[in-house]
Amino acid sequence: MKHFKETLYDAVCQEFRIDKMYFESKTAHQHLMIFHNAQLGRVMTLDGVVQTTEADEFIYHEMLAHVPIFAHGNAKRVLIVGGGDGGMIREVLKHPVEHVTQVEIDQAVVDMAIEYLPNHSNGAYQDPRLNLVIADGFDFVKQYADSNQPSFDVIISDSTDPIGPGEVLFTDNFYAYAKRCLTPNGIMVTQNGVPFFQQDEIQTTYERMGQQFADMHFYCAPIPTYYGGFMTFAWGTDDLTARTRSADDLQEQFDALNLDTRYYNPEIHQAAFALPQYVKRSFKPES
Amino acid sequence: MNNPHPIDARPLITGDDPAAQAHYQKLVAEYGSPLLVLNRRVLQARFKALQAALPEVDLYYAVKAHPDPEIIKIIDQLGGGFDIASAGEMSLLLDHKVSGRRTIHTHPIKKDQEIRDGLRFGATTFVIDNAHELKKLVPYRSRVGVLLRVSFRSASAIVDLSKKFGCAPDEVADLVQQANALGIHVKGLSFHVGSQCNDASKHVEAITRCHALMQEINTTANKPLSVLDIGGGFPADYALQGLDIDAFCAPIRTALAELPKDWHLIAEPGRYLVAPSVTSVTTVAGKSVRNGFRWYYLDDGIYGSYSGQLFDHATYPLQVFRDGERLPSIIAGPTCDSIDVVAENIAMPELEIGDLLIGHQMGAYTAATKTRFNSIPDARLVVVDHPQERPVLSD
Ligand SMILES: Cc1ncc(COP(=O)(O)O)c(C=O)c1O
Repeated sequence: MKHFKETLYDAVCQEFRIDKMYFESKTAHQHLMIFHNAQLGRVMTLDGVVQTTEADEFIYHEMLAHVPIFAHGNAKRVLIVGGGDGGMIREVLKHPVEHVTQVEIDQAVVDMAIEYLPNHSNGAYQDPRLNLVIADGFDFVKQYADSNQPSFDVIISDSTDPIGPGEVLFTDNFYAYAKRCLTPNGIMVTQNGVPFFQQDEIQTTYERMGQQFADMHFYCAPIPTYYGGFMTFAWGTDDLTARTRSADDLQEQFDALNLDTRYYNPEIHQAAFALPQYVKRSFKPES
Repeated sequence: MNNPHPIDARPLITGDDPAAQAHYQKLVAEYGSPLLVLNRRVLQARFKALQAALPEVDLYYAVKAHPDPEIIKIIDQLGGGFDIASAGEMSLLLDHKVSGRRTIHTHPIKKDQEIRDGLRFGATTFVIDNAHELKKLVPYRSRVGVLLRVSFRSASAIVDLSKKFGCAPDEVADLVQQANALGIHVKGLSFHVGSQCNDASKHVEAITRCHALMQEINTTANKPLSVLDIGGGFPADYALQGLDIDAFCAPIRTALAELPKDWHLIAEPGRYLVAPSVTSVTTVAGKSVRNGFRWYYLDDGIYGSYSGQLFDHATYPLQVFRDGERLPSIIAGPTCDSIDVVAENIAMPELEIGDLLIGHQMGAYTAATKTRFNSIPDARLVVVDHPQERPVLSD
């Protein structure tokens, strides 16, 4: 019987049984697998690290999509960097947005996800509001920032780890260019790792992304297969009211959309911004 | 006759050996010359012999000794781990889907990108030997486990590996403390007493000293040191006199038996495993007589498979399938350079163009250091499962 052992940490690791291998591709630069696990459904791993599983992807995608869009209140244009598995566009396109641009570096990831992780995109790649761009996310925001094209209300960075291909999406320059692609009250959110094991990531993001935004914060949600407790998402905006939308406001929007979410709701939305002391202290030592 | 060269007294096997000759001729007929013939059975037997001689120790093959995909495949099938020292070695392992969890990164000096590549590949054990390298690991401290390389110089090793790397034993406690302060987990010590050791005395001394160092640190440390990596140094039998690895390792076993039972023991053998597993087959491409010497020009030489004679200070036993009067001879490689000489002044039976010349014990640090000089094609590596015993000199 084959097993997948995650290679993130030296002293501890999670191990998944591989019940059936659907897809495996390895090059000198990366090693991608999609396999079935009886407990988790289809699992995608990249370079020995879990990227997404059918069982718990809803938590990640709902929280990275609905929190900034509901907080914004009137998002018309959304930019997604990464997210080739399609889960993010599926959630974003549940909103009455006019336009979504998704920038994915590799067409092969999209094709493979449509074939082997069809429940992730669930048809969203067919949505006429979607413009899929195959490009490097960093190059895209850099060029877009200098163009005269319309800004985005929400930017979602659905990246891989900062060690690996996602590295440039955690740099000062990326945040700076992304900021220039946003409307004045736009909101940017990013995947920011599991702070119990990766406290440094919080601090680094706070320093880098925080230079761009008047309100720099984090929110969190537990995603079981991102081992180590809850994951944090970085939150940046110049709209000082966005983070503290009232419960009634959120509830009204949520009800109006009639979303069939499995994790997100307005109470979760508000509570997600509450951070434990060890996380707060890693970016605000005086906390 | 004025002879400028000392006599080359390496083991030389001469005379008829029809079975061996036919075996190599068949391979050359099929794959061309020159060749490196990897005998899978020998490699498997070596791995198992070392495992049996060091039953409590996990073996991590030092890929640098011979970074060939076929060798990696065999070690992988045997369940061995891998000692890697570069991103290039990682990508070789990736090709075989060897998980980073089965590797340790043993190069003490690394650029940031190399650490990142290592982590991305899945290696989480890193070796360091000084405070600068420790600081480089700070951004990755939650992910890595560190081995501190300690330097113990060996008088008996042919290749001294404690000169370039390794901290002094009396620096260990301070480095562990610095690591603790930086939030980096040092999980144990490593050493490499040098390659091609005559006996295990340096291993034993290093084990004993590491044991004491680790125990002393463990009396106060909140994260105990519990890994000991005893490196490589297990010899090859270049003299063809027979090598009893169990006897070589007996003192190591005794020293290891003193350690706490819950410590994790690692070794990084390279040479011992692969040296006898690979045989070089070259062809005499030309000959002449100059200054009283028979000159033979091979199709492989110092810039190719025999590069270890230069870089690794090794002298490989040779074999020809001829007999007769031994004449002063010079065996040269194919390039135009005069350094490209395999044997300077060796007494050999007369060879003819087209004859095969066999180099034994040529698996470790041979092809690994070959060059591209003169754009001469590499010796091709072919894998065989041959029951033939390695030749051992009788006298
Ligand atoms: C760090 C390290 N480990 C292991 C080895 C392999 O040593 P040996 O071939 O003597 O077994 C070497 C050889 O250079 C080395 O540098």
